[in-house]
Amino acid sequence: MADLLKGRNAVVTGAGRGIGRGIAIALAAEGAKVVVNDPGVAADGSGFDKSPADEVVEAIRSQGGIAIPNYDSVVTVEGGENIIKSCVDNFGRIDILVNNAGILRDRMIFNMAEEEWDAVIAVHLKGHFACTKPAAVLMRQQRYGRIVNFSSISGLRGNTGQANYGAAKAGVAGFTRVVARDLGRNGVTCNAIAPAAITRMTATVPEAAAAIRAQSGVAQPRLATAGPVERTPEHIAPMVVYLCTDHAWNINGQIFHVGGGTISLAAAEMPIHSITKSGKWTLEELAQVVPTELVYDIANPAPPPADLDLPGRPAKPKE
Amino acid sequence: MGMLEGKVIVVTGSGRGIGRGVAELAAEEGAKVVVNDAGVAVDGSGSDRAPADEVVEAIRSRGGTAVANHDSVASMAGGESIIQTALDSFGRLDCLINVAGILRDRMIFNMTEQEWDDVIAVHLKGHFACTKAAAVLMRQQRYGRIINFSSISGLWGNAGQANYGAAKSGTAGFTRVVARDLGRYGVTCNCIVPRALTRMTGDLPKGPSQERVVGRGIEAWPPDHVAPMTCYLATDQAWNITGQVFLVYGGTVAVLAHPLPQRTIFKQGMWATDELIEMVPQMMEGIANPAPPPEDIDVPGRPKSQAQAAP
Repeated sequence: MADLLKGRNAVVTGAGRGIGRGIAIALAAEGAKVVVNDPGVAADGSGFDKSPADEVVEAIRSQGGIAIPNYDSVVTVEGGENIIKSCVDNFGRIDILVNNAGILRDRMIFNMAEEEWDAVIAVHLKGHFACTKPAAVLMRQQRYGRIVNFSSISGLRGNTGQANYGAAKAGVAGFTRVVARDLGRNGVTCNAIAPAAITRMTATVPEAAAAIRAQSGVAQPRLATAGPVERTPEHIAPMVVYLCTDHAWNINGQIFHVGGGTISLAAAEMPIHSITKSGKWTLEELAQVVPTELVYDIANPAPPPADLDLPGRPAKPKE
Repeated sequence: MGMLEGKVIVVTGSGRGIGRGVAELAAEEGAKVVVNDAGVAVDGSGSDRAPADEVVEAIRSRGGTAVANHDSVASMAGGESIIQTALDSFGRLDCLINVAGILRDRMIFNMTEQEWDDVIAVHLKGHFACTKAAAVLMRQQRYGRIINFSSISGLWGNAGQANYGAAKSGTAGFTRVVARDLGRYGVTCNCIVPRALTRMTGDLPKGPSQERVVGRGIEAWPPDHVAPMTCYLATDQAWNITGQVFLVYGGTVAVLAHPLPQRTIFKQGMWATDELIEMVPQMMEGIANPAPPPEDIDVPGRPKSQAQAAP
């Protein structure tokens, strides 16, 4: 047992399995007391099971750590309040909130049902809000806190078949940047991780999005399985633990990509190229200038097939 | 002849502000326009047919073609009805422009569930509700343009807008995915990040970042200046631009970086916390804390400053 987080109390949502489990165990190993939250749902959000959270609590205790389970869903404001309250009731205060809980319902945009959209937005976005709001009230009062959110490459770069998940996870990045600014002056930091790891959530991808991608001929590099580099869920934990230590007091509002032994700071969404004129552009002017001055080195991530009749595309010379 | 001659374009939230400018320019360029606006207040309350009707009237008075629609984008039925109006009135749909939006600003520690839900509903569900209905048609006809609206509130972070920032960052992520879902069907999907003086910015203080960007102020950015780049993305000329996010204000258009890995540290195997304590500050060198803690609060880990050390 190390003691970088001795005396700190943490909540990890979705900590019954995968990445969240690795984080809960790593926080406890550094001396934090941990609320292991997980309602034990399937990857699509269905069902309920206490055993994943219980099993992680047991694992932490068997290594000499301190943990308690919580089974509330993050989807409601009431659930979020209960989760934070269970930390305060059991350990006296909350220092760390890790918003890791998430589900998947992959579908191409033209087939996506309202229920698939709503369920994913609810768990990821409302879930982040429902837990962060009550934590923020307490952290602001005590002038100390760490919030670590979970985003995804799906939203930051774009993955086919995940309009709901991509919107939610890019939304988490924006949420992180705003919360960092709302709370920074109170000694609280808020950052986000975009993880790449092999978990049961990526295991569902071959059945859904990956199959669609292959069928449509828009297969993309799979970060989670690319190359010989090992990417276990446990590999995400060290960076999360680091962001929760006192050493990271001045890192705030940032997005980090973490996979295997690779940790990257995400680029800020700032201008790469720009064009300016005094006054309002005309469409004719933009048609001249945009291709040559603005997007000349920006690749089309999903180009239309060559056999599609496409107005505006220069005709290929006949063979 | 205009650059959008014969195109059928839906512009949500086009009764006022940026949406109005887009609808009017599209019509000037020859498009048949569905002017959608529920006529709500900035906070989403109320409803009023007048704003949409007035824009339709303005377009017609200049010889353009437009019809009004007053549905809310925040439900699937509303989104479907908006798209159906284009089909019923003009026979097809070429372009959907998702401008509609509301604001309910509040610091995260004071934000109510209602304030969160309403903003997420209009911006995110609104983008989905209209886009889903449009995507079905555009995929079938192997042609289409979808233009979403994001905000620097999410991309850069504005205090007091956790709901709006999450929603607007979400539309950028939504754009990147939808572009990939539909690219092979001849459909493009891009995103505009506008900065303009409208009734939505009326309550905001003029921050230093706004001054910094142009050296003047937001007054130099009329809402109608957002329209040309938005309409350009709807033209046939923009057939090969998709999945991108463009910042537009005044006479400036910029293409934005995606939040992809920029600086990297790597080791074979799993990092130890001690190693990260040494390496992460090197990776973060020169990256400023956007909201640093004030000098007078006790921040564990912060080196004692000169001010605190002085007697």
